[in-house]
Amino acid sequence: MHLFYFREAWRSLKHHRGLAYTAIVSLTAALTLSGVFLLLAHNVELALRLVGDRREMVVYLRDSVTKEQRDGLVARLLQLYGTEVTYVNKDQAWKELSDQIGDRELLEAVDTNPLPASLRVKLKPELLNYRAMDDAARQVRVFPEVEDVRYGGEWVRRLDELGLGLRRGAMIAGLTVAIAIVFVIYNTIRLTVMARRPQVEIMSRLGATDRFIAAPFVIEAMLQAALAALLALGLVFALERAFEARVVAVSFLPVTWAAAFLGAVVLLSWMAAMLALSRVLRAVGP
Amino acid sequence: MITFDEVTRRFGERLALDSVSWHMDEGECLVLLGPSGAGKTTVLRLITHEIKPTSGTVLVGTFRSGRLSRSQRALLRRTLGVIYEDFRLLNDRTVFENVALAVRIMGRFATSEVVPRVMYALEEVGLQHKQTAYPNELSGGEKQRAAIARAIVNRPAVILADEPTGALEPGSADEVLALLKRIHLEGAALLLVTTRREVAHALGGRVITIVDGRVRETEAGAGPALAAPIATGLRPVAER
Repeated sequence: MHLFYFREAWRSLKHHRGLAYTAIVSLTAALTLSGVFLLLAHNVELALRLVGDRREMVVYLRDSVTKEQRDGLVARLLQLYGTEVTYVNKDQAWKELSDQIGDRELLEAVDTNPLPASLRVKLKPELLNYRAMDDAARQVRVFPEVEDVRYGGEWVRRLDELGLGLRRGAMIAGLTVAIAIVFVIYNTIRLTVMARRPQVEIMSRLGATDRFIAAPFVIEAMLQAALAALLALGLVFALERAFEARVVAVSFLPVTWAAAFLGAVVLLSWMAAMLALSRVLRAVGP
Repeated sequence: MITFDEVTRRFGERLALDSVSWHMDEGECLVLLGPSGAGKTTVLRLITHEIKPTSGTVLVGTFRSGRLSRSQRALLRRTLGVIYEDFRLLNDRTVFENVALAVRIMGRFATSEVVPRVMYALEEVGLQHKQTAYPNELSGGEKQRAAIARAIVNRPAVILADEPTGALEPGSADEVLALLKRIHLEGAALLLVTTRREVAHALGGRVITIVDGRVRETEAGAGPALAAPIATGLRPVAER
């Protein structure tokens, strides 16, 4: 029986090619746009993750801290906040500053090394956001061995805002495209049912259930949407290749993202088709 | 089997049926006779639940009018075999596919059972040699025989025929009537709607005359055993 539904769907697609082409082209256009946005979001997220991985907290130590106290602090930091803690003593800190400034005369004007020793803490992944980093910094700051804590708060906050804005943008774009998919599928199904009204009426008179009449139309909509999604992914891939060849290396969507994209499109088309059929069959069937 | 109890049906201001009551038993042959606009087709549409009565009750088997959901309505229709004046065949399907559609809709039969059932029905109406033809390649009589094959393929208890010979030339009309009579004699109840008295009498069943939405008279039929031969110069389809 399921094969029968697929054959019916194929028959309908063949008989209403114009309608099917229009639907597939409109859906492909909308989905390609959303695919490009998805590609952009994916690459920006990759970049943000790369930058995020470099986020660290610098814990400046009091000059009076002994080695035992320092080791105790390192153990506590590793337990609570970090995945890796690197000790930078006063001399190393001075050398790093010298390398950065490069102006020997200016450095020689300073009599003694004023820089404190520090611990550079590579934070746990769950702490790589502004709020968590700020909380962690405030907690560490009260440890007796600690002089001060720096983590580039403003920079981290802006980075987080950028990531959040991007995710919101992706959601809005996704929602807009979802509405477009529902709109296109809904109207295509309505037009297809109207075009096949005599057939629907005859089937209804022969005692066909709504499910029996609707199944081929639903399959047809899902096939159209799946085809449009695959075409859109192909176009996005072609765009990515062209961009990479001419501008800069970008990463294509991971297989899981592409599969989720295809699945979401097919699911939306199923919903839109069911919605359209629940209304239109009541109007068409005798 | 089918009962109309004080059934009235209005379409806006127009009164299509006015307090009509009649009953049809299992296996009976009943003809609704009347001029165009008398309300005959309204009776058929009430039986198939395409429309509901304005008042009164229509009972078809255990299905009572006015209380049926869409799925129950579909179930009711699957117990009936309906034949229309304009055939209502799907023009993008072969004769075989048109008949097979009714079997698929029934939903009770495995794919392997579809072919033998359809072929049996096509043999009964003498159309097995036209199984791959499309409706627009058939004559009027052949189209109606294909429609009859579709109506009988699921062995319904009742066959409703809405002016089945209305669009046919006399020779084909005789063939179709002979076929319907034979199907009735094999056990199916037959309710035929016509404007032509000779068609009503040819079938030999009980005749209810409807005029202006009211039952005017009822004539007892000759009964299946006494039924007169159909029209003139007719050989039953199966014998050809």
